[in-house]
Amino acid sequence: MTARRPGPGASLTERITAAGGSRVVSLTIYVLRRLLWMIPVVFFVIVITFVLMHLAPGSPWDRTSGRPLSPVVAEALDKKYGLNKPVFEQFLLYVSNVVHFDFGLSYQYQGKTVTSLIGEGWPYTATIGFLAFCLIAPFGIGLGVLAALRQNTRLDYALMGFATFAASFPNFVIGALMVVLFSVLMYKATGGNFYLPAGGFDLDDHLIMPVITLALLPIAFTARLTRASTLETIRQDFVRTAWAKGLTERLVVVRHILKNSLIPVVTTLGPTFAILITGSVIVETVFSIPGIGRAFVVAVTSRDYPMLLGTTVLFSVVIAVANLVVDILYVAIDPRVRVS
Amino acid sequence: MHGRTSIRAVTLAMTGLFVVSACSAGGGPSQGTLAPPEKQILNVNDGTEPNSYDPTQQTYTYEAGVGREVFETLLKPNAQLTDVQPAAAEKFDISSDGLTYTFHLRSNAQWSDGKPVTASDWVYGFKHLLNPALGAGYVDPFFDTTIAGGADYGNVDVSSASAIDNYLNGLGLSAPDDHTFVIRLAHPAAFFKWVVTLWVAAPIRKDIVEQAAGGPFPSNDTTKPVQWANNASTIVGNGPYKISEIVSKDHATLVPNTHYWGGAPHLQKIVEWFIADANTAYAKYLTGDLDQLTVPLTNVDVVRTDPKLSKEAQIFPRLSTFYMAINAQRPPLDNPKVRMAFAKSIDRDKLAKQVQHGIQQAIMSYIPKGMPGYDTSDTAQSYDPAAAKKLLQDAGVNPAQLNKFTLLTRNTTRNKTINQFLVDQWNNNLGLNLQLEVVDSKTVTSRIRKGQFDIYGPDGWGADYPDQQDWFDVFFKGSCHTLNWGCPILPGYDDLVTKADSELDQSQRNKDYATAQRMLIDQAGVAFLYQDYEYDLIKPYVKGLTITPDDDQSLPGNFFWHDAYIVQH
Repeated sequence: MTARRPGPGASLTERITAAGGSRVVSLTIYVLRRLLWMIPVVFFVIVITFVLMHLAPGSPWDRTSGRPLSPVVAEALDKKYGLNKPVFEQFLLYVSNVVHFDFGLSYQYQGKTVTSLIGEGWPYTATIGFLAFCLIAPFGIGLGVLAALRQNTRLDYALMGFATFAASFPNFVIGALMVVLFSVLMYKATGGNFYLPAGGFDLDDHLIMPVITLALLPIAFTARLTRASTLETIRQDFVRTAWAKGLTERLVVVRHILKNSLIPVVTTLGPTFAILITGSVIVETVFSIPGIGRAFVVAVTSRDYPMLLGTTVLFSVVIAVANLVVDILYVAIDPRVRVS
Repeated sequence: MHGRTSIRAVTLAMTGLFVVSACSAGGGPSQGTLAPPEKQILNVNDGTEPNSYDPTQQTYTYEAGVGREVFETLLKPNAQLTDVQPAAAEKFDISSDGLTYTFHLRSNAQWSDGKPVTASDWVYGFKHLLNPALGAGYVDPFFDTTIAGGADYGNVDVSSASAIDNYLNGLGLSAPDDHTFVIRLAHPAAFFKWVVTLWVAAPIRKDIVEQAAGGPFPSNDTTKPVQWANNASTIVGNGPYKISEIVSKDHATLVPNTHYWGGAPHLQKIVEWFIADANTAYAKYLTGDLDQLTVPLTNVDVVRTDPKLSKEAQIFPRLSTFYMAINAQRPPLDNPKVRMAFAKSIDRDKLAKQVQHGIQQAIMSYIPKGMPGYDTSDTAQSYDPAAAKKLLQDAGVNPAQLNKFTLLTRNTTRNKTINQFLVDQWNNNLGLNLQLEVVDSKTVTSRIRKGQFDIYGPDGWGADYPDQQDWFDVFFKGSCHTLNWGCPILPGYDDLVTKADSELDQSQRNKDYATAQRMLIDQAGVAFLYQDYEYDLIKPYVKGLTITPDDDQSLPGNFFWHDAYIVQH
């Protein structure tokens, strides 16, 4: 029996099975190697963050408002958190704790571990980021392909006009505008019967404005990128061949054009996903969402070293994993890509 | 329904014996019909989540905004802020030497889980507060410098449990019986009755702390003793409310403590939201999701001109004064005449009107309006450019000599706007060519601590409690570079204030502080600018608020929420 050579439409498993065990092995080795590489990456992230953090002026015990902390108390706190030790010793201690998955205690939130603080905030951030991503993939790619297929028509102009508009407004402006329109003015117009909540988190209409605000810019970006790369693919010979074969539009677009034009899009969607689920400071602030994006900025301004390091490590791991996933997806989309 | 209303009215009348409202927004519940219990909900914005729900470990006003409701202190300020009034202690005595404070606790006081509050809970709470290993923010200077045996707070070896135990057991704290709590002081301190109104001076339940910690722990443990406060169910307090729910960084919900000695409050729920963005909070007020709000400065004019909102707006003085620190260690700024020239060439009314939207008010003295000691009779720092120029001449200072100085400014819009105004004033009125030096906030803090600046501000002082000692201690020589940035030399000031701090005769104290205030003004220890005010929106259905200038920020009326209520709307 001769093995059927998988066509471009075959699934990843199909293709891997078809390629035989050697491909599975090499993919596994590749993933393992990439995972192991994350260890030095995270280590250097910690080194750089640690150095910058200690170079930044100010101490965690400076007060932003009210009575400044007395030097006597600041000294007691230094002792309590080991800040009176030499910086290098603090660093070694931190790294050895991280190896044991102990990210330490927050300076700002009494008796709370960094892990528990991230555990409290991340679900909010991730929910909003994930939902935004769910909008970005279909809308960004869909609108981009649509604009490319109807190039230089009114639809194309309208879509790209929208994309330019959405990309040029900072999201704090969009967020604030939405609050005025859909909370304040709608509240007035309907006598308080229907309006979107101006802030806070809940698994209901609270999600609408933050998710849209967060998704708008990446949708615009993805749409423009998809359009450009689709236009490039449309002109390729194999697409002309596909049309000539008399394939339906659906088949030509999905199997032949998209598969090829999506490579650069997938490349950017990976990091976009990572950025979205690690939180947007602005969206979380404007809509008062208790996520980790805001927690990170608070940690920076209040010099909450352990929280700052913990979130940075988390961000670097998420971004590294997202990039790895993108690389694996390449294999799924484009059979020409080989793992090495 | 009818019966319930009248019972409430009686409760309010009884508490009314103690609480005379100062600038109350309403009278008794007779004003309008009381809303049903399920609508007795107050939604407020506390801005930021407390860093800890353990009151002894709190520092910020947004933390006090929660802590104060859940834990009741021995005494509290009265509504006029002229004196303390009974709270958890129904009365207290001071020994004739001023060293022993005996607090007689209410025999009917109970924790929110129904257990009686005993004097040993108070001793435990104070020791928890003063444990040097925990480094609580509000210990020094209030408690360690006053309570007998406290002075070594900064020198205890915090790695040694026995050293800590020795220190804590040596403190002048005792419980001769279940309802008597005695504090012995190291030296007479007339202001100590105010110190115990600080929300951090709370009783704590040893059994709950130890249970949450998984058993007894040594005194040098820094994490176990605070675990109890990370869970709403184990936060057991003696205050009028208890925490029913904490949604971290989002909100905390307070419900009545049914065991509170003072009877049931009207408000069945107080939701304290932690909304950091002022504009989001503003939108939430407009959509009825918040009942109180401090108007963001950018929206002040909108509110003023809005026919509906302007009726809901009220302006309240706050106990904080802002001023410019002038570095008296850098000649010729050591010359009081030169400093006075700076002080006298600021048009404060223009500053208040143009830069501050007419919210903050010009002030030329130290003690703010709304607290004992407020006195505007000394106008030495009043705006008078001609006199200011003459002062420079008298001091033999050529304006060009001053051009090397800069105005150290924190990198925020507000600070930059105010300081640009001030520099323009000085340059125009004194013929100078001064520049701003805008630097990030953290760097500014570390520089003023080392005295590395010429002129710095606006710096301010806010009351910890409305006693003048809290204000005048700031300008001690010993506070140089910790609170007193400019370090002006004011002959006789330290002795006078030290005497007033321990003086038991209140009228003599007031006289001495008045003299000290004149020293600060006349020698331009600092250049006074303005007093802080709060421009708040309060929904018309929120009644019975007793608002004092000492209330926690953006929580008007929170010292007396127990008496607030919601009317039908």
